[in-house]
Amino acid sequence: MSSEKKKMTRGDLGLQIIIFGLGFFYAIIYYIAIPGTVDLQAASDQLLAYITAVLTAGFAIGVINLTRVHWINIKRKRTTWRYSIILLVSLYSMLVFSVIASPFALDPNAVFIPASVIQFSTPIWEFLYYKILVNINASVFSLLAFFIASAAYRAFKAKTLESTILLVAGVLVILGQAPIADLMWPGFSIIRDWILAFPNTAGQRGILIGAALGIVVFSVRRLIRYPW
Amino acid sequence: MLIIVMAAVYALAFVASKKKLKTRGIPGLERIDDWIKEAAKLKRPVFYTPGTGSIGSSDTLASLALLGYVAKHCAEHDAQILVANSDSQVQQITEDIVKTAYAKAGKEDKFSTDMVRYISTRQFAFAAGVMGILRREKPAVNFFVGDFQAESLQLAETGRTEAIYQFGGTTNLDQLPFFATTCDQTLMGEELYTATGFLSENEEEISRLVGPDAGKILAILLILAGAVLVTLGTTVLIDILGL
Repeated sequence: MSSEKKKMTRGDLGLQIIIFGLGFFYAIIYYIAIPGTVDLQAASDQLLAYITAVLTAGFAIGVINLTRVHWINIKRKRTTWRYSIILLVSLYSMLVFSVIASPFALDPNAVFIPASVIQFSTPIWEFLYYKILVNINASVFSLLAFFIASAAYRAFKAKTLESTILLVAGVLVILGQAPIADLMWPGFSIIRDWILAFPNTAGQRGILIGAALGIVVFSVRRLIRYPW
Repeated sequence: MLIIVMAAVYALAFVASKKKLKTRGIPGLERIDDWIKEAAKLKRPVFYTPGTGSIGSSDTLASLALLGYVAKHCAEHDAQILVANSDSQVQQITEDIVKTAYAKAGKEDKFSTDMVRYISTRQFAFAAGVMGILRREKPAVNFFVGDFQAESLQLAETGRTEAIYQFGGTTNLDQLPFFATTCDQTLMGEELYTATGFLSENEEEISRLVGPDAGKILAILLILAGAVLVTLGTTVLIDILGL
């Protein structure tokens, strides 16, 4: 990244050995089945389970960051501090009700948590999840339709040769896709199929091949050299 | 086969590192510094998100390398950087990258924890959170570089209304047209992985760009040879490659 050449410390060297060893261990296990008394596949699965545990613990740090950022907002009474209150109340109430009453509840058999508390919490969790969260999620997703309309308007302005080609190709594909197209002229669906099968696929494959090779070299570089 | 290709590509990159190489460059990449300076002048933040991918995603990892560059220049030019994350592991790493960049610039006191924010693992909660930040904090420059899904257009279109410049980058073919439409510059496909090499003035780093190019030439030759051989009625190459 930087133009200056860095000297590798002992810590860096140790980390590099771990990164290299683990990275190539997984690559070898994935491609080659090594027969022997030690089940390397089981060892790799076990390691993955540890990684999952570490990642799950990392999730808590995300919640801590979220709480810290919004707590500062409230404390300093920044312009959006009221939203921060809503966010923190929503976050922790959902957390509490999910722990008690969701399908992933910690004590579904009411061993430690009284059954009455679980009974009381279940409809609240269902309301929060199915009536609020799912609907908000769908609403935000559906905003995409409006964004696509405004982006398409910008993209299809015939200002340059490239954008004119894009506009013509786009109009032909849209026409070919419309049910009325074949009634107007059967050639529309033939043109649409040709555009999608040849120029479109060729362009996409070019990007895909380049990206795949980029990933291979990038990954090898990351495994071989630390610090990145 | 995989090992042979990787070894060949890396060997070529190693050999190339002995020579001084010229790069064709990626349009717009060299303007990042000027954009950050302009944001600093306007006293408006620079926004950066690596998208919704996990730390296991190559796009996310490539984005983190670019974040290091952006954070370094933000620290040097006293531009405030805002980073939004969807993954808690990525959050920790981005926080460390930004903190290190400020420390290296000797401005550790200017770093604050709310510069790097965890939004939500849920895709559209993340999208809503980022759209809120873009509307409220009005960054002058937005970077959407990394692993993006359907939220890409929502973020880039919202950013478009307030930002002066936008920079996109992903290898996701479904999202690339959205970034190409809404961003001033877009890293397409492999450019995402080579961007940091272009930005570096380090010859060793530039030489590593030879690797993907060598692989591409190999792929083109294989495709041409395969097309010719199949046309001639032989499947020898397909049999060798085990396709």
